[in-house]
Amino acid sequence: MAATALIETCDLGRAYGGKWAVRHLGLQVARGEIYGFLGQNGAGKTTTIRMLAALLRPSEGSLRIDGIDPRVAPRALKQRVGLVPDTPPLHDYLTGRQYVGLVASLWHVGRRERDARAERLFALLQLEEAADELCKGYSHGMRKKVHLAAVLATAPPVLLLDEATTGLDPIGVRRLKDLLLEESARGTTILFSTHVLETAEQICHRVGILVRGTLRAEGTVADLRAAHGGASLEDVFLATATGAAAGGGDGPARD
Amino acid sequence: MGLLATDLRALANLPGTRAGRRIVAGTGIGLGLLALMSWWGTGELLAHPRLLQMVLPATGEPLVGLLGFGLGACPVAASWIGLALAQRQLFESPELNLWLAAPLPRWRPALQVLLRASFLALLWGTALAGPVVGGLLASKQAPWPAYALAPLALLVCTVPLLAALLGVQLVLVRFFAGRVLRLVLTLVSALASAGFSTWLLVGLFTAAEERLPQLAAAGAGAGRLPWTIDSAAHLLAAAAGGRCDVSALASALGWLAAALAGFVALGHLHPRAVEKHLESQPPLRRRRSGWPSSVAGAIRRKEFAQVLQQPGALLGFLAFAVLVVALARQRVLVGGLLDASRLPPDLASVAAMLVLWFVAVLLVLYAHMGRLAMWDGPQWPLYLAAPARPVAILWGKLQAVALFLLWPLVVVGAAGSQMLGAGPAAVGLFAAVALAGTVAALGVLAAVGTWPRLMRPDDAGQIVQGGRSFLAALVLVVAFELVAAPVYFGWPLLVDAPQQRLAGGAGPASLHGWAVPAIWLFALLAGASGFGLGVRNYGRLLRAR
Repeated sequence: MAATALIETCDLGRAYGGKWAVRHLGLQVARGEIYGFLGQNGAGKTTTIRMLAALLRPSEGSLRIDGIDPRVAPRALKQRVGLVPDTPPLHDYLTGRQYVGLVASLWHVGRRERDARAERLFALLQLEEAADELCKGYSHGMRKKVHLAAVLATAPPVLLLDEATTGLDPIGVRRLKDLLLEESARGTTILFSTHVLETAEQICHRVGILVRGTLRAEGTVADLRAAHGGASLEDVFLATATGAAAGGGDGPARD
Repeated sequence: MGLLATDLRALANLPGTRAGRRIVAGTGIGLGLLALMSWWGTGELLAHPRLLQMVLPATGEPLVGLLGFGLGACPVAASWIGLALAQRQLFESPELNLWLAAPLPRWRPALQVLLRASFLALLWGTALAGPVVGGLLASKQAPWPAYALAPLALLVCTVPLLAALLGVQLVLVRFFAGRVLRLVLTLVSALASAGFSTWLLVGLFTAAEERLPQLAAAGAGAGRLPWTIDSAAHLLAAAAGGRCDVSALASALGWLAAALAGFVALGHLHPRAVEKHLESQPPLRRRRSGWPSSVAGAIRRKEFAQVLQQPGALLGFLAFAVLVVALARQRVLVGGLLDASRLPPDLASVAAMLVLWFVAVLLVLYAHMGRLAMWDGPQWPLYLAAPARPVAILWGKLQAVALFLLWPLVVVGAAGSQMLGAGPAAVGLFAAVALAGTVAALGVLAAVGTWPRLMRPDDAGQIVQGGRSFLAALVLVVAFELVAAPVYFGWPLLVDAPQQRLAGGAGPASLHGWAVPAIWLFALLAGASGFGLGVRNYGRLLRAR
């Protein structure tokens, strides 16, 4: 595995009741890299992200975040990971600002540091107005933005985002993309699952296409397109996903 | 597939999945236990020859009154469900978005809520009233048609009231929606929840002998029953005698038809009422305030904020105080203790306050247990993902719960000094013992409220309660009673051994010498053991799955 890789998995797999959701997954994501994780619904993206966040135990294989094995030091690993799930776990009867405070405390961030980061993030994500309102009244997009602000206020070296753009308005999506590029430039490693191929194309250094739990294609967008005769990322994705389906799942065929 | 068919299909699907089987088992065990207790209570009362001699010859038609007494559990359950649970279903259920968007008649979603609420109320009504009615019919050697009519009787005692309660709320929200009405409905909901719990607890705690006068009054009370119960009771009483009371049957069916027709008519207001309800909640702004940076401090603060910032949550505390004061004023459960002539008055008032405190804590213990893990269901993944030590999270939560648990102590202490004639020394002694009890209660909460078998997160990391919540409540009550058992069994020792000394004027203060330290020692042991178990459980709950 590469020495600079912050996210490393080796033959990673997870089964639910005997059915494999993810299998033989080998990922290496370098420091500061934005990795786009693509796949159809049920392909295993969320399961992978939950294993990387030490919420799920792998059924086989291993993983390391910043060299830390979750079986050995789960809390040290969690300290380094910021997770933005599809459904943000906001508390309805806290305000956005209070929620950010809660999350920062759970990640052991000092008060001054937290407040400075929170103010900047609220401004960047256009949350100043809503920050002192109860989360109960937030729209789905606002809930996502508040949770994102809370996670980024902990300054995690590894950021895992599961369908982060869903529910965001176009300005919110643009701000999120800018924010992720900024974080990446600062050295944050980002694994980003999305169905919006255009976003992946714009910000990801590399993408991986997951089909029925196995990684079928991986590389830079340019490389993947070149390997498919200059087709668009959408065509590459369709060819990979449907080709794999037609092939009957005869094991990973990584690029 | 219609809404009703969908619900029935969902019910039929329950046994097919593991989670569904848990829900069925949990609900079944809980309601089954209630039914069993109701059956025992009925058996005790009906097997009492003195009672039957006292009641049966006294009035013309005592069975009607007794059946009315038994069926009385149905409207109580219906009121609780109609005011506390169905209210949310009616205006805030996530399914409403689909139902209101579908090309259904305007009244259909409201009717579906009524049908669901009726089903739930019938389950509770059957568990609570069924054994009483069955026992009474059996005691009269009633023929089978009487048993066959029992479900109709339960329906008549439940559905019209439920329809009326939901209908009134629909009309109120449709025409008077606003922040004030929201608060009023929340207060009513809190009162209904606390009232039902009190009714249930008092019912379960009251010994058979103490219920004799109540039952005798019920036996003599035929003719003073509410209309719906009256119809049902007459119908069953006639059937028990092998007759068919046609007018009672027509009246019962008439009540059902009128309730449904009336509710369907009011159901036309439902879509607009939902709209008004949503409009009546403007965003609530809160002042910025500092937030602790330590994990335990942040968690404690979060728990307080959720109570202080939740509209109506504080009203629940107020409603609870009103109920406890009402119990004290009526001397419910403590009349015998206060009138016991062999006890010095101060000691009697301490005992009475402790009994009231015990019941009051039982009323809120389940809600506070939820704060440890259960109510955090959808937010649990946050704790799972956080690097915070489980012990710090649990410690923060227990600190908040400890402060919330002081409320019963304060309310009972105040009620005791004002209504039970307790002097400062008695109140002081009560506070010392109740504080120790609070420590023990926290231990019980920490152990049961984090028990992975009851609180286990699902694969998505959320804690889904389902039928386990009922089981959790039962386990909690039993565990708390077990922890309190040494004090209960030590009571005769406390009263009888030093009786001479106390009666000689030593007063309750002399108990400080040995009883209070012993109770504190035991409470600290229980609290520490519970906390230790809780820490272990929390670690397991927060482990990767």
